[in-house]
Amino acid sequence: MEVVDVRPLLAPLISFACAGLVFAMGRSVFWRRFWSLTAAAVKLLVVLSMLPGTLQGTVFVFDVVEFTPGVGIAFRADAYGMFFSLVSSTLWVLTTIYAIGYMQGDKDRVRFFGFFALCVSTTVGIAFAENLLTFFLFYETLTICTYPLVVHAETPQALRAGRIYLTYTLIGGGLALIGSVMTLNATGSLTLGQTGILSADLGTFTLVTIFVTLVVGFGVKAAIMPLHGWLPIAMVAPTPVSALLHAVAVVKVGAFGVTRVIYNVFGAELLQTLGYASYLGALAAFTILAASVMAIMQDQLKRRLAYSTVSQLSYILLAASLLTPLAALAATVHIANQAFAKIAMFFVVGAIGRVTGKTRVGELAGIGAVMPWTMAAFTIAALSFVGLPLFAGFATKWYLSLGALQADAWWFVVVMLVSSVLNAAYWFPIIHLAYFKTAETAAAGDDRAARDPAAEPRSLRREAPLTLLVPILICAAYVILLGTTAEVVGMPTSLAEVAVWQSFGLEAPAP
Amino acid sequence: MTTPVVTAWPLLTLLLPLAGALAAIGWPAGTPRGWRRPLLTVCSATTVLLTFAFVPPVLRGLTLEAQLLQITPQTWIVLRVDAAGVLYGATAALLWLLALVYAFGYLHGPNLGRVFATLMMCLAAAMGVAFAGNLLSFFVFYELLSVLTYVLVVHEETPRALAAGLKYLVYVLVGGSLVLCGVLLTFAASGDMAFQAGGLFAADVAPQTVLLAFACFLAGFGVKAAIMPLHGWVPDAHPAAPAPCSALLSGVLVAAGGFGLIRVSFEVVGVTLLRELGVMPWLGGLATLTVVVAALLALRQDDLKRRLAYSTISQMGYLTLALALLGPVATVGALVHLVHHAFMKGTLFFCAGSFAHATGRRGMASLAGLAARTPLTAAAFTLATLGMIGVPPLSGFVSKWWLGIGMLESEAPYALVVLLMGALLAAGYLLPVVFTLYFRSPVTGPLSEAPEAGVAQRARAIEGRASLLLATGVAALLTVVLGVAANVAGFPAALAQRAVAGFFGGP
Repeated sequence: MEVVDVRPLLAPLISFACAGLVFAMGRSVFWRRFWSLTAAAVKLLVVLSMLPGTLQGTVFVFDVVEFTPGVGIAFRADAYGMFFSLVSSTLWVLTTIYAIGYMQGDKDRVRFFGFFALCVSTTVGIAFAENLLTFFLFYETLTICTYPLVVHAETPQALRAGRIYLTYTLIGGGLALIGSVMTLNATGSLTLGQTGILSADLGTFTLVTIFVTLVVGFGVKAAIMPLHGWLPIAMVAPTPVSALLHAVAVVKVGAFGVTRVIYNVFGAELLQTLGYASYLGALAAFTILAASVMAIMQDQLKRRLAYSTVSQLSYILLAASLLTPLAALAATVHIANQAFAKIAMFFVVGAIGRVTGKTRVGELAGIGAVMPWTMAAFTIAALSFVGLPLFAGFATKWYLSLGALQADAWWFVVVMLVSSVLNAAYWFPIIHLAYFKTAETAAAGDDRAARDPAAEPRSLRREAPLTLLVPILICAAYVILLGTTAEVVGMPTSLAEVAVWQSFGLEAPAP
Repeated sequence: MTTPVVTAWPLLTLLLPLAGALAAIGWPAGTPRGWRRPLLTVCSATTVLLTFAFVPPVLRGLTLEAQLLQITPQTWIVLRVDAAGVLYGATAALLWLLALVYAFGYLHGPNLGRVFATLMMCLAAAMGVAFAGNLLSFFVFYELLSVLTYVLVVHEETPRALAAGLKYLVYVLVGGSLVLCGVLLTFAASGDMAFQAGGLFAADVAPQTVLLAFACFLAGFGVKAAIMPLHGWVPDAHPAAPAPCSALLSGVLVAAGGFGLIRVSFEVVGVTLLRELGVMPWLGGLATLTVVVAALLALRQDDLKRRLAYSTISQMGYLTLALALLGPVATVGALVHLVHHAFMKGTLFFCAGSFAHATGRRGMASLAGLAARTPLTAAAFTLATLGMIGVPPLSGFVSKWWLGIGMLESEAPYALVVLLMGALLAAGYLLPVVFTLYFRSPVTGPLSEAPEAGVAQRARAIEGRASLLLATGVAALLTVVLGVAANVAGFPAALAQRAVAGFFGGP
């Protein structure tokens, strides 16, 4: 059931207005914080207010402007879009709190918070985009808005990262545009509101070109190998940016786009007969394993996190390419599962950096005694990635494996299990260092660590300030909640189920 | 089968240990430090009493059930108390209490809060393993138990312990993944996961699928149950862990693998289907190999705890061997052996810990003549050794008796030969230790004079420390009591018979 409602437009507008207010009044610390926090909270409330309706199958639509008949800017909040926007709005609140603490004393904070709000605004715009044009518009805006955040430090290294980032994503955007235009040409429509608008009689060439351009175009941001090159380099950005944008907003937008292409442009049924998705699945499986192996070799914490993100994003692509309902459920819930766990990790890494100045894995010996709460959160996130039951990551592993078995693709189950062991291989050493080695025993000879004040015996306990710690703990708690209370009404899983029914064009089973 | 009684009591077996874990790290804040140990003991002891309280209703044929959480739309985490579960659960809880009491006297130094909290969380996970009502619940608790145990293995943080911990982690994570694979295959094929006597696969499931699933379970649980060649973590992890934790590794953790195999064989795949698949003879072959080779390897270990670790591998081989025969009596033997072995091996590890504490060294030579200084501990060690060999009327004899009868009933006389070889080899690797303790005189010389004085002093301290002696004594006493009173209702044999009756479709 579709209902015309202004809220799908309102949600991106709030962040947009916030950006404007921050740019206008942001010289004052109070107003900058006030508008950032208020907008984040109000937006979350607006999105939440749509939740009961969405859970009952209502889709909120709002047409803004039509350029030519059928082509224009329009918003449509279906369950899948709601899921994505709910995750990103919740995390926006947490990241804003964190960023206020983290960026204290940093330069150019007006620019930072302004563009930060703009990025979130476009993310929600993408989540609620009714058609490929709207989607593309926000997708490109996001690319541009992220640039100032990536180069925030303005070091040569940051500027280079920004250049590489722009090159990758602009080319990706261009490809997506070609795909969108071809779709419009072939079908006369760009809507994402149906379970597929293309049909098999368009001819192989057209279909293949559309699939490749759209998937590659969006796949760049989803960092599927070999298009992942920009992500580890972009880690020079300040930690809150890496956390929200490079673990959630920007990269998830790519995965979200690919999923939309699969379910709403092609449709599961058509792709099933065409069989293109299996190539995407194979590439995603390769990415999952290869990126994990790369992650093991990284000593820089943020780079290790980045490669882990590359690997985890491909879970979503792999799940989407399996074209079975259970796998689609995995693709959807993983958006939340990965987001909360990874953002917790980024927050932790940022907090460790701010408190102790450590940024490499090798320096973390004994950090568990220095920052017990922070490292507890990190441990929870790591266990979730390994897929230990009762943590969020297990749900993904479970649905994705079952979905693969549903699709008779047992080798993906093997990929999943190997990947979880690989995850253990790059997260557990950090936990091990943090808790089971002291700085003295680990760094015999490494004078840099020995000189560090944290290394001194029983100087101990230098926990991160509350503005950093509270978001970290909330994220960690959420990771456990996601893993244990999947069936509580209002938790993301119930929303994801509605999203899957809508993606497959199924009727919701009677409650 | 009667319908289960829904009750909240099983949940308490999880909550009590978790409360203990909080007490161990001093929560709620402000609790006096001196209260921690009494609180832990109370939590652990109450858990033991609770598991004992489950015995009478279970023997009457009731099952108790409690639903915990729904973690996916298809599955709940369910606790269900049945005969096999009570058998394993009560064993684990009781051995845990003893190990805890022992640890109070044994463990010193930093990180005590961490290790005690982990111990209690592991107890909760072990209770979950015992009382899991379906495959997914079983897997959940099994994985948590595996990963948490890491903290116990590496507690001493020596390079040796850390290396053993790493090896342990790799083994159990890969094993756990294989188990998960089996769970997934089972769920995809049957759509149901509740343990069900006789198996839960529908008749139309392809045999290849069942075989694949069972192979995954076998390899996965086999890692934990130390079936050769998957045993690699056992001989490293046991010596590295502190003695009370080694006792638990042997008596509960390795047994969890065996218990998982039993659950899966009888309540997931089912006897009929297993006979058709024809994999059990292969498992029997591996078990034979395990019993004999591990015992042979045990002969040449100089480190006492390493010797005991190989002994565990060998003894758990009996369990697998009996399981592979798929006979009712042999299965009773397997379950009874699981319990009896836990307390005998517990005693041995407690004693080994006390010896190591007294001498400060690990080699066999350091044990020479130690019995004169630690008479009670040495006596307990001797008693447990005799139990391991199977001297009547000790508990080891009873379980071997059941196993032997079962092997004959299943018309597998070769298995009986394996059993006897295992017992003889056990005599071969344990009796020399006893001999060294009592009859070999300590190596004396100008150089060892000073350490010897220290040994005497420390040995007196060990014998004088009530908690060490209490735990060792009770475990040794259980070795006798479980043997002498084996036929009393409510003792392991009765429970095992009840469980097996269910497995084989009896009343």
